[in-house]
Amino acid sequence: MTLERKRIVIVIMSGAFIASLLFVQWMEVLRKREELGKGQAHVSVPTASKDCVDCHQKSTAGIVEHWRGSTHAKKGVACVDCHTAAEGDADAYQHYGALIATIVTPRDCSRCHADVANEFAASHHAKGGNILASLDNVLAENVEGARMMFSPHAPTPGKTVDKVNGFAPLNSGCKQCHGSRVALESIDGSSITVNELAPGPDGKPTKSDVVSKIAKNKDGVPILTAATWPNSGIGRINLDGSLGSCSACHSRHDFSPRRARQPENCGKCHMGPDHPQKEIYEESKHGVAFRDLREKMNLDSPTWILGKDYSEAPTCATCHMSGNMRNGGKITHDPGQRISWTNRPPVSLVMDTDKDHKVITELDPEKRRALTVDTADQKRTRMKEVCGHCHTPDYVSNFYKQYDDLVIHFNEKFARPGQTIMAALRKNEMLTTREFDEPIEWTWYYLWHHEGRRARHGASMMAPDYTQWHGMYEVAERFYVEFIPEAQGLAREAADHGRKEQADAVLAVISGILEKPEHVWYVEERKKKEEAERAKAEAAGKETKEAKAEKKP
Amino acid sequence: MAFLAEWIRERLPVDGDKLRSLTNEPVPNHMKRWWFALGGTPAYLFIVQIVTGILLAFYYEPSSKTAYESVRYITDEAAYGWYLRSIHKWGATLMIASVILHQTRIFFTGAYRKPRDINWMVGMTILLCTLVIGFTGYSLVFEQLSFWGATVGANIADNVPVLGPLMKRVMLGGDVYNDRTLSRFFMLHAAVLPVLLMILIAIHIAIIRIQGVTEMKFADDDAKKPHFNFFPDHIYTEIIMGLIVMIVLSTLATVLPATLGPRADPLTTPEVIKPEWFFYVAFRWLKLFSGTLAILSMGFVVFLMYAWPRIDDYLRRRFKMGEVSVWVGIAGAFAIIGLTIWEAAVAH
Amino acid sequence: MARDEDSTSVAPKSSDEQGSPPDSTADATEDPSRRGFLSRLGGIGMGAGLAVSYGAVGAMAVRYLYPAKPTPTNWLFVADLVSFAKGTSMTYTAPTGAPVVIARKGDAGTADDFVALSSTCPHLGCRVHWEGQNKRFYCPCHNGTFDPDGTATGGPPKTAGQSLPRYPLKVEAGLLYIEVPTEKLG
Repeated sequence: MTLERKRIVIVIMSGAFIASLLFVQWMEVLRKREELGKGQAHVSVPTASKDCVDCHQKSTAGIVEHWRGSTHAKKGVACVDCHTAAEGDADAYQHYGALIATIVTPRDCSRCHADVANEFAASHHAKGGNILASLDNVLAENVEGARMMFSPHAPTPGKTVDKVNGFAPLNSGCKQCHGSRVALESIDGSSITVNELAPGPDGKPTKSDVVSKIAKNKDGVPILTAATWPNSGIGRINLDGSLGSCSACHSRHDFSPRRARQPENCGKCHMGPDHPQKEIYEESKHGVAFRDLREKMNLDSPTWILGKDYSEAPTCATCHMSGNMRNGGKITHDPGQRISWTNRPPVSLVMDTDKDHKVITELDPEKRRALTVDTADQKRTRMKEVCGHCHTPDYVSNFYKQYDDLVIHFNEKFARPGQTIMAALRKNEMLTTREFDEPIEWTWYYLWHHEGRRARHGASMMAPDYTQWHGMYEVAERFYVEFIPEAQGLAREAADHGRKEQADAVLAVISGILEKPEHVWYVEERKKKEEAERAKAEAAGKETKEAKAEKKP
Repeated sequence: MAFLAEWIRERLPVDGDKLRSLTNEPVPNHMKRWWFALGGTPAYLFIVQIVTGILLAFYYEPSSKTAYESVRYITDEAAYGWYLRSIHKWGATLMIASVILHQTRIFFTGAYRKPRDINWMVGMTILLCTLVIGFTGYSLVFEQLSFWGATVGANIADNVPVLGPLMKRVMLGGDVYNDRTLSRFFMLHAAVLPVLLMILIAIHIAIIRIQGVTEMKFADDDAKKPHFNFFPDHIYTEIIMGLIVMIVLSTLATVLPATLGPRADPLTTPEVIKPEWFFYVAFRWLKLFSGTLAILSMGFVVFLMYAWPRIDDYLRRRFKMGEVSVWVGIAGAFAIIGLTIWEAAVAH
Repeated sequence: MARDEDSTSVAPKSSDEQGSPPDSTADATEDPSRRGFLSRLGGIGMGAGLAVSYGAVGAMAVRYLYPAKPTPTNWLFVADLVSFAKGTSMTYTAPTGAPVVIARKGDAGTADDFVALSSTCPHLGCRVHWEGQNKRFYCPCHNGTFDPDGTATGGPPKTAGQSLPRYPLKVEAGLLYIEVPTEKLG
């Protein structure tokens, strides 16, 4: 090969070499791009919480790992920022150099999340702890449990049981969803709650004599009453006077918005025989669509606005809380803002609310109007803003007509009549004043609290099976096969015991209801039969009389 | 250019003409054939390894605590780190391969015969140093196989009679792989062996220059001009070889880049431990014969290789076997290739 | 493979071949001007090709030696605006351990209300500390002093007209964040 040719070969080979280096450069660019995409998940522990993380990484690694995956961690909000307590707080204690409290309340969260905390505080969720004044409370404390510590029936092998805690059903059942009244142990054996501490606007107790009685363990940590903590019920009544628990929905310690957007989150409490919202959702077309399209719904997106970040299907959060394109993407932490019927009471109420966000029960229209701050229609319109992302206005209004019709039907055919009959029984002294000690009280309870609610909820979220077979069918069966016969039985029993006037009053109420066109099917054939037999008997009696008269000469 | 030459000549007793004559060695015509350029290739690769090795050493940390992480940094974060590391890794393979090919060429063309037997021995030493530098290099990554390869290697060395235990302890800086072992490997790999190789290569080339390249006469050569110029003719050839090497390295580095296996875990032995490919033949040999016998026989083979010029001379003189070395070489090549493939094909 | 029996001997060094390089070009019969041009083009092309290709590798090596990423920093939460009163200051410790003095001067509710002073002296990088009794920052290396705003009041920093460097701050949703380096040595 001549030199010339060698030079040309060198030129060509250098060209090939340069080409391979261009490929290298391209690969480097791709690598850098990929690195940029990955690089953002960078968590650095703020110095103030570094000791916390170092120790708890070993002792309770799950908490630290959860935290690391949270947005808090990305922004440098760590242990101390939430758990810090102020001097004077009832449950504050020194823990390895930091003054902290175990329970983080909405007041603590509101330091940074003020708007949301205030909205939540105004909602019905925050008031969930007020179950103590309701029928459900009686059920839990009297019927299932006992309002006392009582002696065991017999010894338990392998365990020393001195006293049985009668409040256990309440603590482990109702209160785990509704929220406990957080209590500290007192040195005199009693419990110290927010009632005793009487906190001021800053959350610090004002009764120093009560504070001095707070029992502490050997490390100086105030002892929380076991029955009241752990508890993340949504209406928890906290020692600092705040209501609720943010971690009920935003599970700690990652406070994941992604989790709060999914139905399983709400489903922790909003499920079961008395309010199967989760099961109803899953039966409905919304739930079916969600199950199928879950991965496409951008659940990890920082904002989750219907119509912008996702459109495939709604979840609980979508309709009841999340922002959408028609309301400016605004989230509400008060689901009551979009609900037009409350199906909680035996008879559903129209959700006109007053300035305290309470349902107006006033009957007089003028008085109602005066009290109303936010009407049910306004609430319905807010909900319709969500519906409108997928459904046309006529579709939506027609649905609401179907829903209204079902609710009103239940109200008028079963709920109000039932209430009337129960009132009549009570008025005529056929029931003891104690709840749940007679079968008909259970019957009535099932009818409106379980089956009636299922029917109404089923209609509200388009789950036909819950509306029908788990709902109205069972309502009807309960009403006709159990409730009415039981009420009539009680009246007849009273009559047998000589209280005929009262018995007649009750029976009159019952027959008054049953003779109405919507109920008369139940009685008309039997009535006709009875009438026919009476007529026959009368006719037969008349004949005998006449025959006797004829035989006299 | 002239100014520079003048400037130097005013200070150093350098004669331009003498220098030119000294360096512009007349290259025999047979070296116009490409497969005779196999000597320059490992030398070029050595330079590539030095350059990439120095660059890698800017980020590599030879401490058992941080070595793996530093290699990860180079591979994942440093700009072009993955590329330079891959070039270094493939450069090692190509360098060892080209040294072996070069030696094979020398052997089969009988260029090791007296007076070039001295250079053959220098070359053998270069081969052994290259194999050791390849071994120590891989140990530095501190992957599972790095650690276990080093441990097994030290245990094999332990089997050498008399000096074995000493060798092992010197290699590991203790009785077992400990926190000081890695720095030893690093110094061997990055300082001691490179310097040794540079000296040996310098001697190797000097001897060639002093003795002249073995002349091979091919039938189609130009009889009138049996030599051609080093500058620029042979240089161009070497430049082209260099470019081919760079293209091959670059392609391998991008298509099959160096990866990072799991970190070394002294408590978990991987299912399959294998050394680098160039030690497969030795590994398989050691598995066939156990302990001291294997070591001694391997040592004997190396000794035979060193002494082959003398043996070849004896055989040819005594038994008039002209081509015996070729046959021995063919047999040896098949044996080595066979054992290597066998080790490569099976897990254990 | 043709082999010469005499190849064991040293190559003859004929005097005429020893030093002087014969003609480098093999084709002396070509047109001189064309040959010269082509050869020069070839030569330039060769030089350029080699320079560009090896130069590119060299450039890659230089880029490789340059730090791959800037010092890692992150925006970290400091405090909520409500609990940080105007006229007060606090010491925030960055993940590297470096203390940062953060003071609030205004109450507009924006990042401009605040100043976050680094404790690294702008002169030669020593660490300054706050002297409560003298109401100033003091640098022990060359007696540099700074007022509470970070402006140099004495020593080499004053001569150079320097002040304590400031960290970037931002306010988002009523919360104050600071951008600090996060990588701790060792």
